[in-house]
Amino acid sequence: MFRQPGVAIRYGSPDRPGVVCVQWQTARAHATLEPGSTIAQVALSAAAARRLDECIRVFLNAVLILVLRRAGWHHLHGGIALDPDGRGWLIAGEPGAGKSTTTALLARSGWRVGNDDAVFVGCGSENRVAVTAARTPIALRAPVTPRFAARGVFAPERKKVVYWPEELGSRWIDRIEPAIIAFVSAGPGLTTRAWPLTPREAAARLIRSSAWVMLEPALAQGHLDLLGRLARQVRSFRIRLAEDLFEYPGRLQELTA
Amino acid sequence: MTTYYRQHPGLRLTNVEDEGIVLHLDTRRYFSVNETGLLILEALHRPQSAEQLVDVLVERYQVAPELARDCVAQFLTSCQDSELVVHSDAA
Repeated sequence: MFRQPGVAIRYGSPDRPGVVCVQWQTARAHATLEPGSTIAQVALSAAAARRLDECIRVFLNAVLILVLRRAGWHHLHGGIALDPDGRGWLIAGEPGAGKSTTTALLARSGWRVGNDDAVFVGCGSENRVAVTAARTPIALRAPVTPRFAARGVFAPERKKVVYWPEELGSRWIDRIEPAIIAFVSAGPGLTTRAWPLTPREAAARLIRSSAWVMLEPALAQGHLDLLGRLARQVRSFRIRLAEDLFEYPGRLQELTA
Repeated sequence: MTTYYRQHPGLRLTNVEDEGIVLHLDTRRYFSVNETGLLILEALHRPQSAEQLVDVLVERYQVAPELARDCVAQFLTSCQDSELVVHSDAA
């Protein structure tokens, strides 16, 4: 059994080895994926259909993650950005670490940005690893929003204020080939600091951000190898975010130059 | 009687610049191992005795068998504690 908030995922059973069953716990809805198939059979009850927005965001999103994984695209908690020098950035970190705030600050200073929370890692060009993002708004916690001139929209289901990249002065980007990974955390102090990580340290942190790697043994090796390749492809940093980033987001480029 | 060891079937390994990342799908834990640990775990894809693992290290690193024996014993102990390695019936 593998649990995501609101969703239970069961891998295999004695009579159906390799089958993945996904169950939404809020209203009756389930999906089944046969071994190796990229087709999900989905059944929604009337109660689930009445809560369609939540159903899409929680249940069908989990199903989509499983389908994409079988197509070679693996979910990772993080955001993507493209700096003014054309370098792709993957911004990863624990929940509440500052991924979204960092992404919004970079958007405000003209970097192109993609998603701030959920991206997919897969094969890019010439054996490089690419990261792709769906077009969803950047979601900020209310206390930080006064630091942005743009007025976002409160999204009650996320309990956050959301902004499209264009509202922050940026343009959306759907895919990058990362050159840098920033594992961010919010820290005390006034000055943002960075520490380089070895590829092994980066790979371990990527696993933490890509928990689905533990599901479905037949796919785990490919998923793990991809994270290892990504860790070798990039320069990785542990970055402790501080107050100065609000005034000068370009400090991230200086710290990783 | 010789004891044989092998990787736990829930293990997945990847090489990151000669070091290793190990996933244990059953316990849902992950581990970092150094180059030597990775070499031993890769060898344990098939059942191996401790002495066979010593031979692997001696051949690769040209070290004294006593040193390799200590290294293998320590590593196998920590691997068994973390369920990365299990006893195997057959060689």
